Amino acid sequence: MIRKHTRRAARAAFAISFGVAIIIGLYAAAFTRPAHASTKAGPTIILGTKNFPEEYILGELYKQALTGAGFTVSYKENIGSTEIMTSALQSGKINMYPEYTGVIVQDVFGHTNSPKTASATYQLAKKLEAGKGYSLLKPTPFYDTDVLAVTNATAKKYGLKSIGDLKKVGPFKLGGLPECKTRNTCFVGYTKQYGLSNASFLPLAGISAYAALDAGKVLAADVFSTDPPLGKNSKYTVLKDPKHITGFQNVAPIVKTSLLKQLSPSFTTTVNAVSKDLTLDAIVAMNKAVEVDKQNPAKVAAAFLKANHLK
Amino acid sequence: MLADIASLHTFVDAFRFIGDNPGFLLTKAWQQVELSGAALGIAALVAMPLGVLLGHYHRLSTFAIGASIVGRGLPSLVLIAAFLTLLGIGFVNNMVALAVLGTGPILTNAYDAVDGCDRDTVEAARGMGMTGLQVLGKVELPLAIPLLFTGIRVAAVTIVATAPIAAIAGGGGLGDVIVNQASYRLAGVLGASFCVMALSAIVFLALAALQSAVTPRGLRRTSVVRDLTT
Amino acid sequence: MKIAGGGPVIPNFGQGSSCVTGNHAFCWGWVREHWSDTLGPALAQHVELTAIAVGIGFAIAFPLALLAHRFHKLEHPFSIVAALLYTIPSLALFQLLVPITGLGLTTVEVALTSYTLVILLPNIVTGLRSVPPDVIEAAQGMGLTRLQVLTRVELPLAVPAIVGGLRIAVVSTVAIGTIAGIEVTTKGLGYPIFNALQDPTPFKTEIYSAGALAVALALAADALLVGLRRLLVPWARRAA
Repeated sequence: MIRKHTRRAARAAFAISFGVAIIIGLYAAAFTRPAHASTKAGPTIILGTKNFPEEYILGELYKQALTGAGFTVSYKENIGSTEIMTSALQSGKINMYPEYTGVIVQDVFGHTNSPKTASATYQLAKKLEAGKGYSLLKPTPFYDTDVLAVTNATAKKYGLKSIGDLKKVGPFKLGGLPECKTRNTCFVGYTKQYGLSNASFLPLAGISAYAALDAGKVLAADVFSTDPPLGKNSKYTVLKDPKHITGFQNVAPIVKTSLLKQLSPSFTTTVNAVSKDLTLDAIVAMNKAVEVDKQNPAKVAAAFLKANHLK
Repeated sequence: MLADIASLHTFVDAFRFIGDNPGFLLTKAWQQVELSGAALGIAALVAMPLGVLLGHYHRLSTFAIGASIVGRGLPSLVLIAAFLTLLGIGFVNNMVALAVLGTGPILTNAYDAVDGCDRDTVEAARGMGMTGLQVLGKVELPLAIPLLFTGIRVAAVTIVATAPIAAIAGGGGLGDVIVNQASYRLAGVLGASFCVMALSAIVFLALAALQSAVTPRGLRRTSVVRDLTT
Repeated sequence: MKIAGGGPVIPNFGQGSSCVTGNHAFCWGWVREHWSDTLGPALAQHVELTAIAVGIGFAIAFPLALLAHRFHKLEHPFSIVAALLYTIPSLALFQLLVPITGLGLTTVEVALTSYTLVILLPNIVTGLRSVPPDVIEAAQGMGLTRLQVLTRVELPLAVPAIVGGLRIAVVSTVAIGTIAGIEVTTKGLGYPIFNALQDPTPFKTEIYSAGALAVALALAADALLVGLRRLLVPWARRAA
């Protein structure tokens, strides 16, 4: 028979663990309640971002500026690619996120060719999204387009200056984020418009395109014009895109129109004030801080907002 | 309500995805088998002899038993990320990472199997004049086969089920679809997952059959199923 | 400080040390500097993640195990569902839950709790089963009711197996929790690792430090539970 003190100990142990489990359960229930409820400050803005550092910076910038102006923001970083953002937006999981104007026109709405100017692209994107019930706030001065890059050694070896020159390379692998495969601003555009039937696509779901280029896993890779590795003394050559298939890509926050109507006008002024200050130099500097100097995006955004009295 | 309808839709679409892309999925599955097989091979090569010998000489029990606890505690993501930084991007880094994951169960079970052999039987064998190695080869190893194989089976299923993560480090396989919801939609992700589950089941059954074939007749039991969670 | 003519002020964000920009094997400076904004919060979140999953998992598994112990017929379906669940690639399970449970922590917790359930249930049942029938007979012979037999004999004797199950559950949850950081959450230690992986050259220091923290967390939790078992059942020496 079990002795008294061990029996008591065992009973106590179970009582404690049950109690702990119940407490944790209650805490979890309270903790994971979705933030859909309206608060005194008005409806909750559910701000999402795509899955790369520049978007984290943009997200933090808008989030901190809005929180500072008294709005309630629920922040969902790193949700996924444009395609996933669009479905998150439509299902109501988010109601705002920063998107690129050309991507809206050519990838979300499937237009094969981009308009001829940045502002025309923005106006078209605005019109297209309005038709679906979403508003586009003012665009940023900076743009960040897809570009096709190769290592300097590769460019020298094959004499590559523009995307069309890749025709003479023979069968090769082109790497990029998985969604690039089906996009007009990416693989579809590169192959169709420049006749690159010799290219096969390698999706890069984890490692960066630059790592793949360095390791020789791909010959050319789709990257972004504001990436720090493409800065001064770059190891990579950006191939020219005379047909301009990658379009104009300024950032403009997409907001659900019904949400916009519920919010006070200071929402729009706050967001536009932040966007106005996002010049190419600014975003490149912030990208470098996060990706090269390994600073925390929230801190970088905070420093920028503070220096420009936007918080 | 809408979510439930959506999930049902996805469920059906997953099978359609499998039906529409048999060749593609088979190629991916084979990639995964190659990676997993290589990893399992290395793990077995390293862990089995070590475990068997330690069990035979009844040494370093804490290490041998602790190996599987530590093995379980090594997050697969950490292993894959770490080996990517050390060994580059591609096949080798993932093979090593998965092999590390598999050594735990194999080592511990090999040790347990040989160490736990009925002492009287071993004594009797020695009494008959067998040398240490003869005892190992003729008595302990045959007795150890069931537990040894369980270790291999657990390792194999763990490796196959973890291999999808290797896709983020250039490992290929069905993981390429699972990490790529953007291109293949949830239906694709679910379809590829079914394939991974099927693969795990096939590996499990194949090894169970192999175990039955190799187990000496006197030791065969009816149930070969062991909890993966023990 | 750089002030473009009429443009925004671009503050100095802090130059990364040469260790960081050169991606050396391990940069203690970075770890010290970013403990409070990256590593520390990630660790705290991971502890929370694990605690909730194991807590709720135990709270559900325990009564289910008692049921399965009482009604033997239930054990078979339970274990089939359990085995099935464990072969679903965790990354896929997380993604599949998003349409149902949203983009927050609920998704992660539902998946993690399911995995702990799968581990705890069989272990608790096995623990209860492992009580020698003679002991139960002796207890019944002494006049104990069924409930008393359960609480005074079977449960205390099952403690080693139950704690064994908790050890496995906690350690596995820490590991699977890191995978959540790949696609569905920014909380926990997996997110910094995955982020670092995606840098143009994968950032070694972040991978190693966050990774080391995850391993340390798992081992510490395991040691804690071993200590707990020794406290409760000092007569059971041999490790499970």
